[in-house]
Amino acid sequence: MVSVFPDRLPWFIAGPIIGLCVVALYSLANRRLGVTGSYVQVGAILRDGAASELWRIWLLIGLAGGAALVGLLRGGPSMGLTYGALGLVLPIGVLIPVLFLGGVLIGYGARWSRGCTSGHGISGTSSLSPASLVATGTFMATAVLVTFILHLITGGAL
Amino acid sequence: MNLVALAVGLAFGLAIAGARLHEYDVIHRMLLLQEADVFLLMASAVGVAAPVLLLLRRRSWQTPFGGPLEVARGPVERRNVLGAMVFGTGWAVAGTCPGPAIAMVATGSLPGLFVMAGIVAGATLYGAVARIPRWRPLSVQESAALNLSC
Repeated sequence: MVSVFPDRLPWFIAGPIIGLCVVALYSLANRRLGVTGSYVQVGAILRDGAASELWRIWLLIGLAGGAALVGLLRGGPSMGLTYGALGLVLPIGVLIPVLFLGGVLIGYGARWSRGCTSGHGISGTSSLSPASLVATGTFMATAVLVTFILHLITGGAL
Repeated sequence: MNLVALAVGLAFGLAIAGARLHEYDVIHRMLLLQEADVFLLMASAVGVAAPVLLLLRRRSWQTPFGGPLEVARGPVERRNVLGAMVFGTGWAVAGTCPGPAIAMVATGSLPGLFVMAGIVAGATLYGAVARIPRWRPLSVQESAALNLSC
């Protein structure tokens, strides 16, 4: 399997591409780039069979397609059950509920806060929204704190 | 609009997977403050987008598919902080967030599916909880309006 894609795009290339994504969605469609809304729409489809904001489903499809393309260019998708250091620390039977619970906190918190790492962290800070600047500072600080706690209670395994 | 979203999604997914933001270890090292790359990535994204958005707003930009440009700006509210604390905890536990979780699954990670399922469940749960009105006694006028007065 031959990789024809850089092992890791440097931050100074990937970052500006993401910045241009925010600009493109705002300047063409007048919409804030936030991915949590796509999950809300998936939930609406599962519950009611219809999405109120169809463009968010297209955003999700595009995102999956772009990432899948990188996977292919790197030599094909690597189907697997690995999950980095967390997958080494937790057996799969514990890993799965922990990931689900983590996801619930992500989804619930993002909607409560009115944005996630993309909606607040990149788009909202780019429009200098006070709510987004404060939310971003808060989730960054919280995530660093929780990560250090996990690092300590696992004796450095995480 | 849908086509714009699809194209933006493609570029976003390419950048996320390209920079390996969909890998637990990359985000975990970031949050352990062992690696500055993801912080620099986010800062450079904002550094590119912020001046362009400012310029577009100054020029009262008309978007082709969504009317006059209105960027989302809001005052700080309690929920922004409390929700961000819950979100940050989930981000640290799973080592991923909504966009990268999609990239994770798209590149073949099966555990990522459970993160995605959790996000849908959490987001839907919030929608259900937020729709429940806070209990308070109704005023006479409100009771009358609801036709509940005996």
